[in-house]
Amino acid sequence: MGLTSPQAYIAFSIILLAIGVYCLVSKRNMIKTVIGIEVTTIAVNTALLSLSWARVATISHITGAMVEPLAEALVIISIVIGGAIAALALSLVVNAYRHYKTLDLKKLKRLRW
Amino acid sequence: MATGVGIAEVMGPVIALIVFSASMPILGYIEGKLKYKYLTGVAASVGFSFALIYLAHFLWRFWSSLAKGVALTSSLFPNFGRPLGVEIRVDVFSTFMALLFIGLGLLISIYSIKYMEHDTGLDRYYAMLLLLVAGMVGVAVAGDFFTLFVFWELMSISSYSLVSFRKYRWEPIEAGFKYLVMSTLGSLVALLGISLLYYYAGTLNFVLLSEAFARPDGTLKLYGYVILMLIFVGFGVTASIVPFHTWLPDAHPAAPSSISAMLSGLVIKAGVYAIARGSFMIFKPTAFDYGTLFVVFAVITTTVANIMALLQRDVKRLLAFSSTVNIGFILFGLGTAAYASHLGVAIAGILGLVGALMHILSHAIGKGLLFLAAGSFITRAKTRNIYELQGAGRAMPWTGVAFSVGLLSLSGAPPLAGFVSKFFLLMAGYSVGNAFMNVATSLMLVNSVFAAAYYLRLLQICVIRPRGEGVKELREASPVIVAPLVILMILLIIIGCYPWPLLDIARSAASALLQP
Repeated sequence: MGLTSPQAYIAFSIILLAIGVYCLVSKRNMIKTVIGIEVTTIAVNTALLSLSWARVATISHITGAMVEPLAEALVIISIVIGGAIAALALSLVVNAYRHYKTLDLKKLKRLRW
Repeated sequence: MATGVGIAEVMGPVIALIVFSASMPILGYIEGKLKYKYLTGVAASVGFSFALIYLAHFLWRFWSSLAKGVALTSSLFPNFGRPLGVEIRVDVFSTFMALLFIGLGLLISIYSIKYMEHDTGLDRYYAMLLLLVAGMVGVAVAGDFFTLFVFWELMSISSYSLVSFRKYRWEPIEAGFKYLVMSTLGSLVALLGISLLYYYAGTLNFVLLSEAFARPDGTLKLYGYVILMLIFVGFGVTASIVPFHTWLPDAHPAAPSSISAMLSGLVIKAGVYAIARGSFMIFKPTAFDYGTLFVVFAVITTTVANIMALLQRDVKRLLAFSSTVNIGFILFGLGTAAYASHLGVAIAGILGLVGALMHILSHAIGKGLLFLAAGSFITRAKTRNIYELQGAGRAMPWTGVAFSVGLLSLSGAPPLAGFVSKFFLLMAGYSVGNAFMNVATSLMLVNSVFAAAYYLRLLQICVIRPRGEGVKELREASPVIVAPLVILMILLIIIGCYPWPLLDIARSAASALLQP
């Protein structure tokens, strides 16, 4: 299991997922929340790519020699969607800053539960 | 049982919606030059009508084969073959949902012409509305998880921006941000489930996946449950199942009322649809036992949301919690179907799915009607507090009558659509006939009565009581606003009095989903 094996990338994506979710849960700054979403998106994309690679590797026994076109197409679309979501989220952050003059999520909690 | 069909015929409604959506900026420019502020709204309604005509034409051509339970498939890249090509798959369930999405979308866009007339940036509003419905129709006709995910995100992004459309106020911004963060995380969890599916089966096609998971052994069964959980949680955020519902009571009141009707009537139904497709289509209930999980979640969802709804004084917030309650009812129908099929009680399985489908229909129409009517009250009275809206229904008789019929239908009063669906749901639950389902169904029955209590309280305050101080000067809303309300009200009454054709459609959709 070296850097060229899919298992390493799966482990990497799990670590990235943990970092992203931690960032989403713990950070109070709105921009850091957006960064958390992006890190989580990247983690899931990496997971999708490396899982499809792992599947190819188990079938053909030639690690890294083949690609899975469907998974890669899905990842490319997911990256585009992630970009759109980041843009929309940042525009909401800008509008929130215009209303409150702060980016602190704790100070935004005017909504009742 | 699948027949090929041209992709342009199946995707006609989606293409029409996207073309009209893309033409909105130009129309907005012309609107500004002509100083005629209804142009984009009328054009959006025309776009929805085109989509409806396309769908009607499709149904007219293929209904005879669809009704027999045949699924029509078509591929974007037919030369690539089954695992690779992007596939569209249409069966009775898909057309049922697509017809609901486009029909309610048409009525909501007609309502918006007058309701949104004081807002600016209407070209963006209608472009997003058309894209939202295009995304939902795409989710309904998707034949693999690739297509489903693409259209799912189209739907999600449009609904985020529509929730925070009135960006000059604080509430939509805050609710929109919360919705965006939670729902994006949900989509990512679903994508993780999809990537695991791809790892274990090497395909995303629904039919091939169901073959791959048809006879699961030990490890495959375990993986199946993990994927099922991920898909359930991921799409469950949008469907607002209880631990993941917290975005909904903020987002629905913050959005314009037309968008609340859209979210509550349709978007959360798209979440339920994705759960139903992902579970029933791929993991056959005879091999996997997830009915128990669905039923437990359904009972928790209904109970928690009922208690929260009872405490609300904001009319839109109350209706938003009641949407979560009704999602609980729909999920109960799905859960009963899965549970009964796992036990081998086929009739209860069919009844549960028929109940769930009928409840999707009756709740979409009823809750759409209620949000539109509440929006009509709120625009005139400038308040969302129930007690300040006291007697508003007397001041605005048409809206008041439609509001009352919607409330009665949701509370399950006999000659209306809500009665039919709740009757089938509870009958399905009791016809399984073991202790667990009897207890769960009784809890749902208690919850149903409990829900009727606050619907009737709302009816009593807003319509029956004499006019309060705030509503003395109210006038009836414009005919353009009243017409969609009256159409929805008549639909509720017709479905309640004569549900047989719809029950037939729901039964064939249910047996198509449950076939081994």
